[in-house]
Amino acid sequence: MNQEAPLVDFVEDSALEDDDIVLADLSDDELVDQMHDDLYDGLQEEIEEGTTILLERGWSAEKVLNDALVGGMQIVGIDFRDGILFVPEVLLAANAMKGGMAILQPLLAASGVEPVGKIVIGTVKGDIHDIGKNLVGMMMEGAGFEVFDIGINNSVDDYLEAIEKHKPDILGMSALLTTTMPYMKVVIDELVARGIRDDYIVFVGGAPLNEEFGAAVGADYYCRDAAQAAELGPRVVKERRGQAVA
Amino acid sequence: MRRKKAGGRSAKRAARQTSSAVFQAFIDRKIPYYELLDEAALELIEHNADTVLEEIGIEFKEFPEALALFKEAGAEIDGERVRFPRGMCRSIIQASAPSEYTQHARNPERNVVIGGKRTVLVPAYGSPFVRDLDKGRRYATIEDFRNFVKLTYMSPGLHHSGGTVCEPVDVPVNKRHFDMVYSHIKYSDKPFMGSVTAPERAQDTVDMAKLVFGDDFVENNTVITSLINANSPMTFDATMLGAATVYARHNQATMISPFILAGAMSPVSVTGTLTQILAEALAGITYVQLVKPGAPVIFGTFAAAVSMQTGAPTFGTPEPSLIIYAAAALARRLGVPFRSGGGLCGSKVADAQAAYESANTLQTSALAGVNFMLHTAGWLEGGLVMGYEKFIMDVDQANMIGVLLNGVDLSENGQAMDALREVGPGSHFLGSEHTQANFESAFYRSSVADNNSYEQWKEEASMDTAQRANKIWKKMLNEYVPPELDVSIDEALQDFMTRRKATTADRDY
Repeated sequence: MNQEAPLVDFVEDSALEDDDIVLADLSDDELVDQMHDDLYDGLQEEIEEGTTILLERGWSAEKVLNDALVGGMQIVGIDFRDGILFVPEVLLAANAMKGGMAILQPLLAASGVEPVGKIVIGTVKGDIHDIGKNLVGMMMEGAGFEVFDIGINNSVDDYLEAIEKHKPDILGMSALLTTTMPYMKVVIDELVARGIRDDYIVFVGGAPLNEEFGAAVGADYYCRDAAQAAELGPRVVKERRGQAVA
Repeated sequence: MRRKKAGGRSAKRAARQTSSAVFQAFIDRKIPYYELLDEAALELIEHNADTVLEEIGIEFKEFPEALALFKEAGAEIDGERVRFPRGMCRSIIQASAPSEYTQHARNPERNVVIGGKRTVLVPAYGSPFVRDLDKGRRYATIEDFRNFVKLTYMSPGLHHSGGTVCEPVDVPVNKRHFDMVYSHIKYSDKPFMGSVTAPERAQDTVDMAKLVFGDDFVENNTVITSLINANSPMTFDATMLGAATVYARHNQATMISPFILAGAMSPVSVTGTLTQILAEALAGITYVQLVKPGAPVIFGTFAAAVSMQTGAPTFGTPEPSLIIYAAAALARRLGVPFRSGGGLCGSKVADAQAAYESANTLQTSALAGVNFMLHTAGWLEGGLVMGYEKFIMDVDQANMIGVLLNGVDLSENGQAMDALREVGPGSHFLGSEHTQANFESAFYRSSVADNNSYEQWKEEASMDTAQRANKIWKKMLNEYVPPELDVSIDEALQDFMTRRKATTADRDY
């Protein structure tokens, strides 16, 4: 007679298996830790569930954003930088983050909380390459930014319209072609001419650029890759706000 | 007894200073191709490419002319998306595209044949930066551009002057193409590539070529080959299409090049990437044939893999080699010349990584049967940098490819039976009659490698490859003598440029 059979049946009949987690059963601290893991693993539904649970428990949207989401993405950023997480995994994590952000966004706006930052980003006129720009956008979202991606082939007017509309902290310009990168100066010169250059932090990036070029065209920062942009973005916005208050 | 004057010491010294590379206008391949995939596999990819063209289609952005031509030819137009019935592209291409063509140089001895069993080696293209051991990494200038044209001219292993051998960032964007094309004509007499950054710049290139070759000659022959990139995945943009149209109309050659960083612009598999490459090439080449049936085309693909870890392009890795071998076969089956490969690497400097990554790609390209090998010499840092020392190292490799593809000498002299009989067991061949007769051309002598004893190497300042290469390019530029250019042609070109430049203000775009 098989003595083990009843035991096996019992386990299989149970609603839970060993590795099932019920988010609602976790304490606040445990839930935040779990959300960090779920962000790391790119599990969008779980993040949305966790976000909802924390809100139901009376957490402010801001606290959920900072502790659970942004905190989790910072870990993702570190492991990406260290070569442990690969690009597709970072994209999944950013997507999961976006899921949570979608829930928090209206609440943050309603309570007048300033986002971590806002960026308008686009590829310059004559250039239709956007993979790098798209990665920057995703990493910035992962860092908690509101990203307004105005796509490719943007003239001065396109940039001006977007920054007028969205009033971002950062204007980001991207180019892949050596023949289009000089257009960044055209845009920045126009900002200067209109007396609004100081209203924005200007990031530039793209394969044919370097730091010297960024400085020569009048940008504030040249970002060598998406990870650097996402690390720099929150920092420079915070610095500027600190200065504004002072 | 009278005998021919041998020339003595001075003659020998003069003769031996030069590279052992033998000048040939292009390589006539005598060895088989490395065929990676069997018939079934190639058919599978061709089938899938047709599925992509039929089901997904290719976007032709902001270029109604292309949509109209495709519609007329039987494709389905859906906004800017073009879907092709199975087999349509292949039959249009095979009906008119030449399997090989001659690109004329202003010196007819330098004419190259592109396609068939030929290989033409070409310097690297497109870098905004240059690098050398003395000045380090910096933006390229028109002076650097001229330097690379001169170095290419002086390198027998490179058969073609190339195009954007670096991007002269110090000249206004809308005018630099004049200086670039002029430099190819003035400082070299090898065939060259045209400007593609705007349709009017392509037209300027054609007009300048006409001043050199004559109007009729240009319209009835091919004197320019130009690079037309797809905006992979599955998109062609107006800039590239505009330039392609100008060149095709004037019977000049276009190199339709999917630009693939696999994992980013194509699927993460070799087979998926090959499928996409073929689909894009079929669509682009079909467009050119519809513009002008019979206009020469090259099936070109740039292929490298992206690091899944960082998103950065990588080089010299196995997968792009597999892609190149298979794509070459696809091009042969289609019946058009093939471009790919080169001395590709991701290294920032001309170090070991640069050397082995480039060698991997060059060897693959040679064995695969690449007809037009853009990026053969100078490539560093994923194409961002044109390296002076790297150029010299790669030219050495280019010379070797010329010898490798020449195959094995099976003649009586090659069989060396006399030598075997003369020397027999135990002795040595160094002084045998056969050796005396053949030694000078027997083995390729590298211009860059050091094969001396340790002590001699140390005595001669213990230089590494890059340092030796540094001395070589400086010596070459010092010794450069321009090929003669008819004074009236030179004046006509300069006059044309001055007039054209005066019609618009300098622009940064």
